[in-house]
Amino acid sequence: MKILIIEDETDLLILISNYLVKENYTCELAENFKNANEKLSIFEYDLILLDISLPDGNGLELLKTIKKLQIKSGVIIISAKNSLDDKINGLDLGADDYLTKPFQLSELNSRIKAVLRRQQFDGSNILIFNEISINTESKSATIYGKTITLTKKEYDLFLYFIINKNRVLTKEVIAEHLWNDNIALVDNFDFIYTHLNNLRKKIKSAGGKDYVKTIYGMGYKFGEL
Amino acid sequence: MKFLTKINRNFFIMFTIILIFISIVGYYVLAAILMDDAKENLMEKEALIKNQIAETGILPNMYPLIEVKKINKRTIAKPLFRKIFIQDNLEDELEPFLEYSNQVKINDTIYYIRLRQSTFENEDLLTLLALSFFILLFFVFGISFFITKKMNKTVWKDFEKNLHTIENFSFIETKNLTLLKSDIEEFDRLNKVIASLTEKLKSDYLSLKEFTENASHEIQTPLSIVMLNLEEVLQQNLNKETFKKVHASINAVKRLSTLNQSLVLLTKIENRQFEADRKVNINEIVKNKIKEFTNLFETKKLKVEFLNNHEFHIKINEQLAELLIVNLLSNAINHNIDNGFIQIEINENELKICNSGENNGLTNETIFNRFVKGNSKSYGLGLAIVKNICETNQIEIKYLKNILHCFVLKQKFCENSVS
Repeated sequence: MKILIIEDETDLLILISNYLVKENYTCELAENFKNANEKLSIFEYDLILLDISLPDGNGLELLKTIKKLQIKSGVIIISAKNSLDDKINGLDLGADDYLTKPFQLSELNSRIKAVLRRQQFDGSNILIFNEISINTESKSATIYGKTITLTKKEYDLFLYFIINKNRVLTKEVIAEHLWNDNIALVDNFDFIYTHLNNLRKKIKSAGGKDYVKTIYGMGYKFGEL
Repeated sequence: MKFLTKINRNFFIMFTIILIFISIVGYYVLAAILMDDAKENLMEKEALIKNQIAETGILPNMYPLIEVKKINKRTIAKPLFRKIFIQDNLEDELEPFLEYSNQVKINDTIYYIRLRQSTFENEDLLTLLALSFFILLFFVFGISFFITKKMNKTVWKDFEKNLHTIENFSFIETKNLTLLKSDIEEFDRLNKVIASLTEKLKSDYLSLKEFTENASHEIQTPLSIVMLNLEEVLQQNLNKETFKKVHASINAVKRLSTLNQSLVLLTKIENRQFEADRKVNINEIVKNKIKEFTNLFETKKLKVEFLNNHEFHIKINEQLAELLIVNLLSNAINHNIDNGFIQIEINENELKICNSGENNGLTNETIFNRFVKGNSKSYGLGLAIVKNICETNQIEIKYLKNILHCFVLKQKFCENSVS
């Protein structure tokens, strides 16, 4: 998968690309509008991460170019601006998602995967991890071929774990992913336990292994035992 | 009071006072004129009588109008006028008369002449004249009143239209304020002043808007770098102490970013950057949010009671309305006790959210202040945002505390918003 990252802050650019390379993506970097514009007209990408505020131009203009050149890449806007205008404008201009700074890499990964899944229709909607298989189209999970019934939150949680496997996730990050903005205003994240315990029970009763490791009571890691 | 109503009312009061004044003065002036006329009349009569006596020696007598008799000695030096009343036998009532008495010497004989003239008709005439005067003035004033009123309306029409344009003007919209030109110098001057003021305000508003967004941007970017680095550190095999430190740092960065966003949001709400474009159904939002919050209610084992008694619509930006409800519900959860409850009630033009909770020592005056936190580990901005949203959207909000903690929202109906 080839991703173009357009971001004027070099530190951020490198952090994101290092992470994405680790996740087996190929990354190209563009630090400014001009550079991004050139790359877009020459190369093809599966996904574009786009910072709206660039020193030499507005990222929304790039979105218009992408549309005009009929580039089929998915676009995720990354912006420090929480402003509704940009959000609506960006999505109207054909962006697939919008991520507000500061974000976490696990959340970025989850959004990238979601956009890529929507882009491609070649059976890539099935994620497999050992005995577990998740179908993102029917939003269902099977263990050893046996379907387990999950609530929406449990499914979201399961998918988030699988996408971010072998990564330490704090409970705040998980809560934010499951409840979006609303959660920022609530000061207790204990409800994560409830969902996680239910998920664990369901996996266990289907004969699956418990891949979720609790880390010092502050976070979780899903991965090989 | 409207300008034209005020003018018309003043006109009417002035007109009434002037009318009464002129009528009273007119009455007395007329009465004096008539009295003079009557006196002259009597003196003319006296001259005729004197002539007659001198020529013929016949003393005319016609009671009560003319009385002439011979007397021996003068008793009065000057002719004398007085007003008297005489019993009228025919109509059996007292009638007013003007009496003239004089003592004259004709051919060495002294005569006492007493003449009387009824003023009864004069008074009738006076009343009639005064009345017609009054009616005439009334019509003149009345007509000028209506003409002025009509004229005022046409003269002030452009002003009214401009006023309406200004009332509906919003800085959020990109179009400029355009006012109608009139042929009245003062109005044009006013328009020019307003146009230059709004232009200045608009540029200030835009630069402030830009500043808050840029400030937010400049802060969020370094925060992102800190956050992503910390996240990467977290992935290494850390001991519990280090993990705890990194975890706390991540949460602090998040807190900083949320604070920054909340403060920017507050500024934006105060700047009225969220347009109240249509009526929003509060019932729907409350219903949806309760559903979204179910898990959170369950964690604290809160019982939620929702009484949806009446439709409640508010003209507000939809995102702000959602934020308002979310903040109030979060507040009701965060400051609740385990196994507590939340009561939500929607009545006509009223939303009430009550929750059980410990005493916090906060009052209606202090609870909405920024960074006032009670006993939760929140940011102390949620209710400040709530208050701000309410204030900029004609919503009255009150915090009531008895056994429960209640927030009551009511829509204010201001008089000038009726259009």
